[in-house]
Amino acid sequence: MIRLENVSKKFEINGKENTVIKDINLSIYKREIFGLVGETGSGKSTILRLMNGFIKPDDGNIYLMGEKLNRKTRHQLVKDTSMIFQGFNLLSNLNVIDNVLLPTKIRKGSKKENINRAKELLSFVGLEDFHQSTIRTLSGGQKQRVAIARTLITNPKIIFCDEPTSALDDKMSFEILRLLKDINEKFGTTIVIVSHDISVIKALCNRVAIIENGRIEDIISLKTKEIKPVSYKEALLGDD
Amino acid sequence: MIKQYVETFINFKEEIFIAFYETLDMIFTAMIISLIIGLFLGFILFITRSDGIYRNNKIYFIVSSLINITRSIPFILFIIVMIPFNRLILGTGFGVHASKIPLSLIGISIFARFTEQDLLDVNKNIYETSYALGANTIQYFIHFLLREARSGLILSFTSTIISLLSYSTVMGIIGGGGLGYLAISEGYYNFNYKLMWIIIILMILLVQIIQAGGNLIAKISDKR
Repeated sequence: MIRLENVSKKFEINGKENTVIKDINLSIYKREIFGLVGETGSGKSTILRLMNGFIKPDDGNIYLMGEKLNRKTRHQLVKDTSMIFQGFNLLSNLNVIDNVLLPTKIRKGSKKENINRAKELLSFVGLEDFHQSTIRTLSGGQKQRVAIARTLITNPKIIFCDEPTSALDDKMSFEILRLLKDINEKFGTTIVIVSHDISVIKALCNRVAIIENGRIEDIISLKTKEIKPVSYKEALLGDD
Repeated sequence: MIKQYVETFINFKEEIFIAFYETLDMIFTAMIISLIIGLFLGFILFITRSDGIYRNNKIYFIVSSLINITRSIPFILFIIVMIPFNRLILGTGFGVHASKIPLSLIGISIFARFTEQDLLDVNKNIYETSYALGANTIQYFIHFLLREARSGLILSFTSTIISLLSYSTVMGIIGGGGLGYLAISEGYYNFNYKLMWIIIILMILLVQIIQAGGNLIAKISDKR
């Protein structure tokens, strides 16, 4: 589904060229939930942005759904993917349903069908009563749910998630993780998730790449557990 | 005293209406041109800045300098400098239609700079979001950037219209007419101060209405 071949990326930092991604080789398979874990600044978010073509590699090739990602193909290929951001990145001047409908404005399709689909998705993410709400009135978890509904409206084959739960508390994080798992199971969507939070990765991913200083240190297969909510009391006592 | 003002208004009713129409005619054309070209140039400035998505120092420098030059020349001299250009475009350097050219150019410059500043206030991550959701650059501008910046742009455009109204008062120098010209020629130079004050009050009312309308539309469109 996604293949990176000898991918490297340099950035100019304070006038000096730094190689932030070093010779990465990686294959992510269809219907997989793949994690990229590493410390802040390790390069995991850069790898995610290389995968969706937002950043161009200096060396190497990237293939999305079998096609090589380049200047000509990237806009077409990225239309079959979508992304969830740490800061939600919703348009604050649009209400909930208009945010969900945003990707349909740049694609062909029936307006009526799109509205029905947006309503269905808002029900799927548990926001059926919030169609006309403004973004500023929503909690962090609700905003991320709107972002997930917006992601799903185009039936993407791949969803990239950049720290999707790091702005949320534990309860909200659990709900978002369960939603991502449901999406993977229900729609067969491939999910690539970046996180510095090991518990998020452990709960969700089939395989994980550990990134250190722009290199893949290891790729580990995981047996994912059932995602369960943990109260503050359980979490505190569980540490003992 | 009020009676005298009312009498002056009745006596000059026709002249005031003609001048009012001339002002609206000049401003309306300049307003439309400023909106379209100013918005476009503001977007060009925004994307070609040093931190823009299509960084291009040359284009930014050229557009930015042209805007600065237009804004820095005293407007009354700018009108005179533009006479040959008006002649080239319209075949005449004088009159209401010729007045629309310098007025449009100053409106474009003001609104382009306002647009650049309003777009800079939009969350920078919106570009990446638009890309990740499949938008190209034009779609990013229309569906993402304009929507997020719309209330600021409406207020900026309101200020541009008010500036145009103010600039239009000196268009009499090339025969542009309008309320300002009537206030100066008939009011001030002919010692008809009552007429001058009537026109000043009319201008104040006009600015109040435009600003209140702009504020209302901006408030309705702002859901942040």
